[in-house]
Amino acid sequence: MKRDKKDDESGGNIYANLDKTAVLQEARAFNETPLNARKCSLILTKLLYLINQGQSDNPVTKYTTLPFAGEPIGRTEATGAFFAITKLWQSKDPTLRRLVYLAIKELSVLADDVIIVTSSLTKDMTGREDVYRASAIRALCKITDTAMLQTIERYMKQAIVDKNGAVASAALVSSLHLMKKSVEVIRRWANEVQEAVSSENHMVQYHALALLYHIRSVDRLAVNKLVQKFSKNLLRSPFAICYLIRIAAKLLDEDEQADPSLFTFIDSCLRHKSEMVVFEAASALVNLKTSTASELAPAISVLQLFCSSPKAALRFAAVKTLNKASILLSLH
Amino acid sequence: NLFRDNTSIYNVKGIVILDQDGNRVIAKYYDKKMFGTVKEQKAFEKSMFQKTQRNTSAEILLLDGVTCLYRSNVDLYIYVLGSNRENELILESLLNCVYDSISTVLRKVVEKKALIDNMDTIILILDEVCDEGVVMETDVQAVVSRCALRGDEISLTDQ
Repeated sequence: MKRDKKDDESGGNIYANLDKTAVLQEARAFNETPLNARKCSLILTKLLYLINQGQSDNPVTKYTTLPFAGEPIGRTEATGAFFAITKLWQSKDPTLRRLVYLAIKELSVLADDVIIVTSSLTKDMTGREDVYRASAIRALCKITDTAMLQTIERYMKQAIVDKNGAVASAALVSSLHLMKKSVEVIRRWANEVQEAVSSENHMVQYHALALLYHIRSVDRLAVNKLVQKFSKNLLRSPFAICYLIRIAAKLLDEDEQADPSLFTFIDSCLRHKSEMVVFEAASALVNLKTSTASELAPAISVLQLFCSSPKAALRFAAVKTLNKASILLSLH
Repeated sequence: NLFRDNTSIYNVKGIVILDQDGNRVIAKYYDKKMFGTVKEQKAFEKSMFQKTQRNTSAEILLLDGVTCLYRSNVDLYIYVLGSNRENELILESLLNCVYDSISTVLRKVVEKKALIDNMDTIILILDEVCDEGVVMETDVQAVVSRCALRGDEISLTDQ
């Protein structure tokens, strides 16, 4: 009876009223042989859900008063759970394995000694299963430090130019995160990153362009060359083109002597076939400090067209930007 | 701040799924500055849900400087959050990918019960589309094939 009532309150959501201690107890099943993959997946999902509810980089004091997820997971408990999870590596169940990678990422900030899974992750990263490789790269980069980064450098360079999009994107985005820790090491990967910009995969192209920009961002001339090069119709990904527009706009905004071809590039994007790119270009022109009324005219006309789009997001974006433009123009 | 610079690709502040009462089913927040504590997150969810309910046709709203795009179905509200300076169409393509991936995995039954029954796959989907605020993938086919790993249950041609 009591249980039914509890279920009603949570609207049938078995995850809503999870008890931390109970879930950590259940995690003992990770030590059983043979492993029950379904059961372990469910427990791991509960654990991920718990962490997700109390998610933070400094998980102590703050949420102890919140009733819904109980207390946050402490360091000792997290470490215990982490070591239990490492036992799950023996299972070949793909969902379970993917959840293990996720749990490692989540626990990497909560538990101690997480680097013990480095060799397992390195093995998965260089293995045959593409789905595992991408996730393993992301998990590995999350637990790695500057010293260890050198030992996986070779694999990272390979992964960046991997022909599987998920693998290359995982390596590129992870490298971007790692730039916060070890800029110097990542800078050495510039050649591979540059190669990845010409990838057929749209997301890889986008991630590679962003990383390449961040590698070169200290050198103004190099950034300028980067924009010049890729503005010549070399990019196919709308995400990447949007990003290139942002770099070009930044250069124009920061340097009064900036190359006028940057402006021409942004202007030409107003005629792109992707609405995302057209809007990005129009918005960039409106936000440029130096735009004149005549320079803004084409941007304003595409924004006006967008106002009658059936997409709410596009109408919203267009009206917001037009409003900004009208304020600017009234100042001239 | 990673979320303020225009050349940052940390574009996404969060992905949130609420039920018909505004309770959290699952949520991922990437902007730790704005949504660092559960208290802040819950408060935001509450006011976001109130505004969404009042105007279910809008699909987009601006709240406390955060652009929230959403889609709802039966008893679920799926939100993608980004900065107010972010290109709304980028956020929209992510929202569509999240929604359509979930829809494919749940065989078009985008409802709370089905979502809870498939929580493991849903968590994997959220991980696959966004990494610490960076848009990872917006192609539904790619996401589903990477997440719906139980091949016996999901067939890609069955859409």
